[in-house]
Amino acid sequence: MMRSQDLEAQAADWLMRREQPQWSQADQAALTDWLDESLAHKAAFWRLEHGWQLADRIGALSAREIALRPRRTSLPSRWWQASALAASLLLAAAFTFIGLRSRPASSPQPSFEAFDTAVGGHRIIPLADGSRIELNTETILRTSVSDHRRDVWLDRGEAFFEVVHIENSPFVVHAGPRMITVVGTQFSVRRDGDKVTVAVVKGRVRVEDTTRGEASATTTVNPGDIAIGLGASTMVISQPVAAVEDTLTWRDGRLVFHGSSLTEVAADFNRYNRQQLLISDPSVAAIRISGTFKASNVEAFVRLLKQAYGLKVDLTADGKLKISS
Amino acid sequence: MVDDQELKEWFCREVLPLERSLSAFIRRNWRDAADVLDLRQDIYERVLQGARQALPAQAGKFVYTVARNHLINRAKRARIVSFEAVVDLDATSGSDVLEPERQLLAREELRRIELGLEKLPPRCREVVLLRKIRGLSTRETADELGVGIDTVEKQMTLGMRALANFMLGGSAKVQRSGVPGLLARRPAR
Repeated sequence: MMRSQDLEAQAADWLMRREQPQWSQADQAALTDWLDESLAHKAAFWRLEHGWQLADRIGALSAREIALRPRRTSLPSRWWQASALAASLLLAAAFTFIGLRSRPASSPQPSFEAFDTAVGGHRIIPLADGSRIELNTETILRTSVSDHRRDVWLDRGEAFFEVVHIENSPFVVHAGPRMITVVGTQFSVRRDGDKVTVAVVKGRVRVEDTTRGEASATTTVNPGDIAIGLGASTMVISQPVAAVEDTLTWRDGRLVFHGSSLTEVAADFNRYNRQQLLISDPSVAAIRISGTFKASNVEAFVRLLKQAYGLKVDLTADGKLKISS
Repeated sequence: MVDDQELKEWFCREVLPLERSLSAFIRRNWRDAADVLDLRQDIYERVLQGARQALPAQAGKFVYTVARNHLINRAKRARIVSFEAVVDLDATSGSDVLEPERQLLAREELRRIELGLEKLPPRCREVVLLRKIRGLSTRETADELGVGIDTVEKQMTLGMRALANFMLGGSAKVQRSGVPGLLARRPAR
């Protein structure tokens, strides 16, 4: 075997293990030792790591092209089946099983799926039709995809959608009292109870109030628009597309504020972190905050409030951080 | 002495984009194509060794010089390589400085990733996609696909190598080399 291939295999083994959740400090120390053993190790590892990172944008590829089957409903496909079973020698059982699952890939029956994220979670779901849904923190979402229609229920939280336009197959997002119908586009939907916020980056969507029967008012939302539906009214705010994109910075783990009140900022941090912030003092609540923050780093934000604004931070009995002057 | 972080950044930014042209250079100047990957690995090692003292101002020239010297030394030691090869190599100096891979546009880069994925065997591809898109661990991938974790780990490392090689300008060929000796040294899981 060639030395370089052997080294590359070792580097790949380290790299793979480093990406696993059980990677420990001891593992890291072992990797550092291995790297320090020789520059050949460093060259091989850095090279592989770099090449592997170059492929990180796979996530931006449309799922249709790469044909990834959705979660949970998927049974192991045939070749996995074959190898797994060859190993276990349960051949008789295997044929029955393979026989059972061989239904056509695009069945007329809708396939139902449910997805969720925990506090601070972020997850990308490729749908079978090629569309993608990106879930923000604390989100619950269900999908139903068939050949002639695609439905998504946003039960709570926020999601960003990249919808592939398919003739005669509407894509509809149900967010409580609002129904959002889509023609190939990119937009996000956020749900806080009955308040529904729709921000459109590309394309056009139609927002309908489903609580008022047939004669319900529909609102068309264009790129750069943010529609906020609450009760009977749907308000549309036109903004530069860049401002709409700011509301989507959660997609790369950042929060961006332009002169938002501390109350709003704290509420946003609270969506992403178990450590909750509590603002009770009205003079503190009115402080305006601008800047970009890492959504998960509430500690750094609190430190900034202490140092830059001279605010007091106390731990309450129920474990919240209370900010006061 | 350049610290590791700086050395690594320089290596990724300045040296690795030369990989395709460096590989072509080695192939042109070495009789046995089977040696190319080993030679390239040796050259990278020597490049790091040199750059560790002080980062060279012109990476392309530096890598080329290291590559050329290494090939000449190897040729002299090997003796089986014809003398012409070495003469040839000397003659090319100056005109044959390595060119970095052109920076890909975002769309081309995606296309490239897609191509690389297409070239992977289906098992590798599925494991790689579950990792890159859904962020699944090998354990979760094994559960999802209903196969053993060892199978997933094997496909994962093969997929990583093939895709990384392709992204650096190679052919995305899956190299099925095992890792003897490595299993013994890794900490228990």
